[in-house]
Amino acid sequence: MRLEDSYYQIVRETVEGREGRFRIRLLPDCPVYRGHFPGNPVSPGVCNIRTIQECACRVAGERLFIATIKRCRLTALVSPAICPELDVEVRLSPADTGFTVEARMTEAGVTYVEYTGEMRSAVEGR
Amino acid sequence: MIDVAMERLIPQRDPIRMVDRLVEVDGGTATAALSVRPDNYFMEDDGAMAEPGLIEHIAQSALALAGYRALASGAPAPPVGYIGEVRKFRCYRRPRVGEELRTSVVWGDTVGDIALVSGESRVGDERVAEVGMKISIPKNA
Repeated sequence: MRLEDSYYQIVRETVEGREGRFRIRLLPDCPVYRGHFPGNPVSPGVCNIRTIQECACRVAGERLFIATIKRCRLTALVSPAICPELDVEVRLSPADTGFTVEARMTEAGVTYVEYTGEMRSAVEGR
Repeated sequence: MIDVAMERLIPQRDPIRMVDRLVEVDGGTATAALSVRPDNYFMEDDGAMAEPGLIEHIAQSALALAGYRALASGAPAPPVGYIGEVRKFRCYRRPRVGEELRTSVVWGDTVGDIALVSGESRVGDERVAEVGMKISIPKNA
């Protein structure tokens, strides 16, 4: 499943080394809102986690798999109505089996998501 | 098996309903199940379910337990819960189409609107994921 162009669109992208900054637009017609929730569209926290993962893949230039999430704070509700656009900042640092990924989703001074975890490159069987 | 339709236990609906049934409930713990099907919202091109789908499955399994307990105490509708924090998530491998996830969840202490929840998912004897979470259930939701 690829959330890009279904859940969000990338409006602007800047990648320098292992840091990326993405301006994304949340797409209100995304099918996920039919079920989350009927009559009350709320962006699922796990879709924001997936968005961070996809942005991290763009920075790394390869597919990355989430091995661990040390901590991900979903500090405020996200929806296309509340924040039609968001900034996603992703920073990768080399780690044993791939990268430590630190990421934030913010807009207008509000932090919506803070993320720290390890992602690994494609490994047999994963 | 708990013979209550999942629609009565959790508010999530297609395409992001990520638990098929509650297998058993024992106080603050429960076991839930999900068949990994090709049309799963988190299904990837290689036939495995994306890692964030495991987090959502475990969260909804915990919410199904909360919904079951709410139903048992006469609530008219299942509580709406939001993941507030994910802690110590580990994915050992992604589950594949055709596999059956069995997930045990523990609904821990609740402080105000926030519950501490933990869960572990297995395919057969093999642990595939584990996570701790804070789930927020606003009382006016």
